[in-house]
Amino acid sequence: MAEYRLDCLGEACPVPLLKTQKKLAELKVGDVLVVEIDHSCAMKNVPEWARKEGHPVEIEEVGDGEWEVYIEKAK
Amino acid sequence: MEIQQARETAVRRTPKKRKNQLPIAIIVLILVIVLAVVFGQISSGLAVAWIFGVAFGVVLQKSRFCFTAAFRDPILTGGTSLSKAVLTAISIALAGFAVIQLFALQSGKGVPGAVNPVGIHVAIGATMFGIGAVISGGCASGTLMRFGEGFMMQWLSLAFFVVGSLWGAHDFGWWQQAVISASPKIHLPSLLGWPAALILQFAVLGGLFFLADWWGKKRNQA
Repeated sequence: MAEYRLDCLGEACPVPLLKTQKKLAELKVGDVLVVEIDHSCAMKNVPEWARKEGHPVEIEEVGDGEWEVYIEKAK
Repeated sequence: MEIQQARETAVRRTPKKRKNQLPIAIIVLILVIVLAVVFGQISSGLAVAWIFGVAFGVVLQKSRFCFTAAFRDPILTGGTSLSKAVLTAISIALAGFAVIQLFALQSGKGVPGAVNPVGIHVAIGATMFGIGAVISGGCASGTLMRFGEGFMMQWLSLAFFVVGSLWGAHDFGWWQQAVISASPKIHLPSLLGWPAALILQFAVLGGLFFLADWWGKKRNQA
């Protein structure tokens, strides 16, 4: 049940999503991946992709235009 | 749940350091109104363009509408919600333009709007634009919107977007002579008649919408 962080600050769409897909594949079931993003477009497609894959997702706006996306690997 | 714990510890770890943006918003709003009045005195068209421009920006930013993602995400992630949004927007525009053009033609004017020649140059340009948009993280509207949001990387995109546009404008004469002037200008309603043209266009858009919906569901199951 480890927690991993993925720094995608300053990365434009679709790089955060590709990095998330790669990183999540390495994780074990039950691990939480925290994706740090500041690109508004990634704010849409990262959670959308993760939810579609069936992972629980939560979003926290930690600063102005800076978000943390929490993805719990479900399978 | 793991996710809740991780989120709560993270919220405690990173205390909110957000500035109150309301004063800035009020100043910007006043500026928008003052400029609209100033532009209105120069010409009413300028003021209308200004208000519509600002409104477009607000809608783009708030809706996270992204033309690039509409074409990219179906392949990359299987997400087709933006593709369907773009198809819906085009359908609404199609209905609106049909009304505008019908009225203009009935009053004996030419076809309003940009009816441009279609040919190989469109395919070449579209491919180049698509590659550029995916690498730089946004098409024209997306780049402008994120420039305004303050995403610094896209300031770089905008600089080269301007460079590319200038280069394109410089070479436009050659393209005009070599390809564009030889390509046909097609206005479907003039060619097929209004009912057939509208049915064809809505059928194609509807078909694409159906395809996007099917693709999104198919990728979801995989």
